[in-house]
Amino acid sequence: MTGLIAACYSPAVQVRIHFYSYFKDLAGLAEVTESLAPGSRLEDLLQKLYLRFPKLAAMKKSALVAVGLDYQGGDYVLAEGDEVSLFPPVQGG
Amino acid sequence: MRRELTISEERIDEQALSQGRTMSRGMGAAVCFLGVVRGTEEERPILALDYEAFKPMAEHQFQLLFDQAEKRWLLESVRLVHRLGRVPAGETSLWIEVVAPHREEAFAACQFIVSEMKRVVPIWKKAFPLA
Repeated sequence: MTGLIAACYSPAVQVRIHFYSYFKDLAGLAEVTESLAPGSRLEDLLQKLYLRFPKLAAMKKSALVAVGLDYQGGDYVLAEGDEVSLFPPVQGG
Repeated sequence: MRRELTISEERIDEQALSQGRTMSRGMGAAVCFLGVVRGTEEERPILALDYEAFKPMAEHQFQLLFDQAEKRWLLESVRLVHRLGRVPAGETSLWIEVVAPHREEAFAACQFIVSEMKRVVPIWKKAFPLA
């Protein structure tokens, strides 16, 4: 019972999202914070972002996504304080 | 493997980098590659490229590439410099040197790092002026 109550009252997970390159222009800002239900995956966050920023949705097939300094797939489970970065294909050199 | 990585807005001093090369007696190959800004982008003339990076991740991803290169080939050193900010046409935006006992591994490792960089290291460029 205690576990159920704890689950019901689990606070939302807050993550910070950073946009780079022309994704900043498409989103209209460089960073934003989102609140998600505990256990949410990266894919859930991306769906939320694409609804909030429709111009970014057009780029979702080529978008690269990292958590911290490493690339992550859609199944990654987000944790409180994660820093997510979203950007277009890289072009160094 | 010795590694040196610099990501900076400073102009790349190729002469100083060449003078800083060290090779132990068992090393027989030093491969150096320069990436130079072209004066055209999609057949239109440009003055420069503006480079932007997510720098902490770029540094981390370069180190992961160096780790992979070190596992695949016997290398003594990798030195890499990538310039950020506005780089005029004709100037160097990327400098990389790989030192190895033989040319095969030096060429292969250099090619690997440059190719993979263009896939995973978060650096972007934009033509100036925009077409």
